[in-house]
Order: sequence, then structure tokens, then C-alpha cells
Amino acid sequence: MITVNNLSFNYGQKEVLKDISMNVREGSIYGFLGENGVGKTTLLTLLSGLKKPRRGSIDVDGRDPFQREPSLLAEQFYLPDEVSPVHAKAIDFARENGALWKNFDMGKFTAILLEFEVDLNQRMDSMSAGQLKKTWVSFALACNARHYYMDEPTNGLDIPSKAQFRKAITKYTTEEAAVIISTHQVRDLENIIDPIIILDKQDVLVNASLQEITSKLYFDYRAELHPDALYVENTPGGSIQVYPNPDGADSKVHLEAFFNAVHAHKALVKSMFNQ
Amino acid sequence: MTSEIFNLKRFWNYFLFDLRQMWRNHSGPAVFIGGLGVIVYVVWVLLSLLFTQSWTGPSLGARIMILFTALIILVMYQSRTYGYLTDKKKGAAWLMIPASSFEKFLSMLLITLIVIPLLFVTVFFLADSLICLADPTVGDSLVGTAMQGMNAFANKVPELSDSLFINLSAGSIVSILLVGFISNLLYFLLCGICFKRYKILGGIGIVFALEVLLSILFNIFFPIWSENLVYLDEVSAAQMVSHTFNWVLVISILIALGLAACIFFRIKTIKH
Repeated sequence: MITVNNLSFNYGQKEVLKDISMNVREGSIYGFLGENGVGKTTLLTLLSGLKKPRRGSIDVDGRDPFQREPSLLAEQFYLPDEVSPVHAKAIDFARENGALWKNFDMGKFTAILLEFEVDLNQRMDSMSAGQLKKTWVSFALACNARHYYMDEPTNGLDIPSKAQFRKAITKYTTEEAAVIISTHQVRDLENIIDPIIILDKQDVLVNASLQEITSKLYFDYRAELHPDALYVENTPGGSIQVYPNPDGADSKVHLEAFFNAVHAHKALVKSMFNQ
Repeated sequence: MTSEIFNLKRFWNYFLFDLRQMWRNHSGPAVFIGGLGVIVYVVWVLLSLLFTQSWTGPSLGARIMILFTALIILVMYQSRTYGYLTDKKKGAAWLMIPASSFEKFLSMLLITLIVIPLLFVTVFFLADSLICLADPTVGDSLVGTAMQGMNAFANKVPELSDSLFINLSAGSIVSILLVGFISNLLYFLLCGICFKRYKILGGIGIVFALEVLLSILFNIFFPIWSENLVYLDEVSAAQMVSHTFNWVLVISILIALGLAACIFFRIKTIKH
């Protein structure tokens, strides 16, 4: 389990995260949402141990990630938004790097890469951005880590690859793994992320499962406007509106509408989910 | 339970990985620096043919100069070997590799202080020997000359052993030179992992500033020190010189250890 307690971080004088607290449990694929510049990438790098918190603490299974203990590093994988090209063939890269991750599975790597339709013998420095991303994603999943921190993993992927990514994430991560995916492309991942964490400037607005969200908010796809609607958006086939759900009626979460509703009514939604 | 600081199997895996990375990314430049003698030889012969219409290779003195130039380039090149650690993407990927900071540090030292210099020495002297074998106009190889020099020194040992100065200070002088070379490699390695840009220029700039400071101190203290030397008998003077060299050696070792400690601290605390 990952526990974040009163975490603060700043770049020089600029405070990016202030007193952030949250828990992340294994066995889920977290969708980590937020506007540009709220500190999503910063939080992911703090969780993975690439940065040191200014105040507060991060506890990953009883360990401080900034200590970068090999046993913890072997159980986690941080996939940045922009991955670096490597002067090697994909298969050599995986063989050499995989030797360092105790749970790395070469068979899994080749299987995922084949599903992504990337040539194992292609040099990584001659790959397109999308192919490179797919190679890194394949490597990450083949490491069989327990904690994944992925920053915009679908950036640079074409439409079929996004579907392959969703399939790979659900197929190749175990029940013991906690996957945190930071993204702006919620539609790319709508069907796989649950719970949802929404980060605001210096605050966590929501950290809730889809079930909790639908128990508190109703997502109405009809054209008829509801008087208590927190957010309304006209769509070609009608509209999508979000309003409080006191009766606990069933509905399907529309992530973009939910995100916009949260941002339009931060205090209200935060109080609803903190009850 | 596996140690979080050092585990032999994990270290060996990481060292092999690091070695492959080094070979893939830096063997070309290292071989180029090592092969500087061949490049200069070819240019030298071509210029000689062009301007004097004679086949003349670089003399022994010129090749010694090339060796020193190549050594200086090799030392400064250390700022490039691990310079990628300051790059956000590559540095972050390196930090996330499951090996301890100490294991990464140790591997870095082995590669910087042993593997790369060994590769350089092998390539440079092998190339020089092959040139000398193929072209008699250049004279003896550097290795051959060094061996002759050592033989001559060995023959002189009975005479030199009477020299108190040689007896007391020769070991310290050789050690100072060796530790100095190691310190230079470590210094440029440290610059490489600290400076984001201008890694070599930054390193040279700091060395230049330190040289200015040291020459001022030297100008203040050397006259005082040498003044005392004049009034001493031969035995006392040799002992004093030896004593000074020993101190210089101790300070050099401390500087090398300090640089190594700074490198470890940088690895331990680097953030991306």
C-alpha cells in the first residue's frame, strides 16, 4: 500500500504540492487526473523516488522511495511521458535491462511487443515516438512490478495502439499491482481506470472508485435539463449532465463530464467525497 | 535477506550492464582517443610527403607529446562518460535501475579508473608499436623506449641507492603522479554528473581558478620553505624534501577520496 501524508513540494519559491494526503491500494488501476501544472508529474516522480519531498512523507510498503533501495526499485516502474531512445535493438535492450529486474519475463516482453506489432530486432534509436513508447510499455509490463507510475502512457500512440495498450494493461498486470496512470486523455483509458484521483492546485479533490462516484453523482445522458445539474455539456446526440444522486440510482460515469463537474464545484464535490 | 547496500550478484549484474552501456556509447570515442597516435602519424606523413617529398613519421618526442595530449583528452572525456545522468529522461531511467547507490558508484569508479584507461592504454600503445613495426623511420616504440629507460634505471640502481633523495622520495613522487591522475579522472567525472551544460568547460574553469589560487599560495610559502632548505645539511635537506612529498601524497590521497565521496553523495541525492 502507498500512503502519502501531508506531502509538500516546491520548485524554488513556487509551491506545487501542499499537504497532499492519499492512499493507493494494490489491485487497481488508478486514473490520475488534473489540469496542466497542478503537479501530476511531480507527484509521480515523488512516488517513484526521483524527487525528495520538502515536507511530509511517502510510504511504499513501509519504505521511503527516495532511499531508492534496490528491493523497492525492483518492484516498481516509472514510465515518463517522454522516453529516451536507446542505441540498441529492442530485444537486446530488454535482455540487458531485464537482467536487473528480478521478476522480468522475457516471454512476456516479446508477447506484448508482438501484440503492439513492433519488430523485436528493430533498433530503438530508429523507432518512431509511438514505437518507442510501445517498447518501453512492453518492457515495463514484463518487469512484473507491484507499483507502476505511468505519465501520459497513451501520448504518441495511434488509435489501434491505444486499444492494444488498454488490453495489455488489463491482461499483463497482476492483482497485486497498483497502477497509477496520469493522463489528460481520459477517453483513451475510460474503461480501465478505477479509482479516479483528481488533483487540484495543492490539493486532492477526489480519490474515489467509480462505484463511489456513481453512488454520489448521477450521469444523465438525456436532453432534458436537470435543475441541480453541476455540469452540462451538449453532445451531438443530446447532452451529458452531472448532478447529485441522493437516491443512489445507477448510471455510467462520463469521466470528462465528471472532471469538469469537479472543477466547476470544487468545494462541494470535495465535501461530498470526504463525507 | 538481501542487503540494500551491497549484494555481489546484483552488483555483478549491474556492472555487466554498465560495461555494455559504456562499450555501446563510449568505446568509439575511447578508441578514437587511443588511436590519436595513428591519426597524427598519417597526417604527419602526408604533410611530410607534400612539403618535403620524403616519408617521415613523427619523432619519439612528438609521439610523447601526442601521448600527453591524448591523456589530457582522456581525462577531460570522463565528464562525458556519465554525463547523461543530468539528462532528465536518461538520468531518471538510470536512477530507477534496481541497484543500490553504492553499487552504481562502485561500477562507475571501476569503469572510469580501470576499464577506460586500460582500453586507452591498450589501443594507444598497440597502435604505436604497430606503426613502429611497419615504419622504421619513426624509431623505437614508446613501450620499447620505456623498457629501455627502465633497464637503464635498473643498471643505475647501485649508484642511485647511494642517493638519499632517491631513496626517500622516489616512491612518493610516483604515488603522487598516480594519485594525481586518478584525482583528475574523478574530478572530470564529478563535473560530468554535476553540470547540466558546459561539462568540460566548467571543469576547466574551476581548475583554472584553483590553479590561480594555488600559485598565489605557492609563491607565498615556497620561498619560506626553500629558505630553510639552504641552511640544512644534505641528509636533513633530503629528509625535509621527503617529508614534504609525503605530506603532498597524503593531501593528494585525501583529495581523491574527497572527490570520490562527492561523486557518491551526488549519486545518492540526484533528483529528476
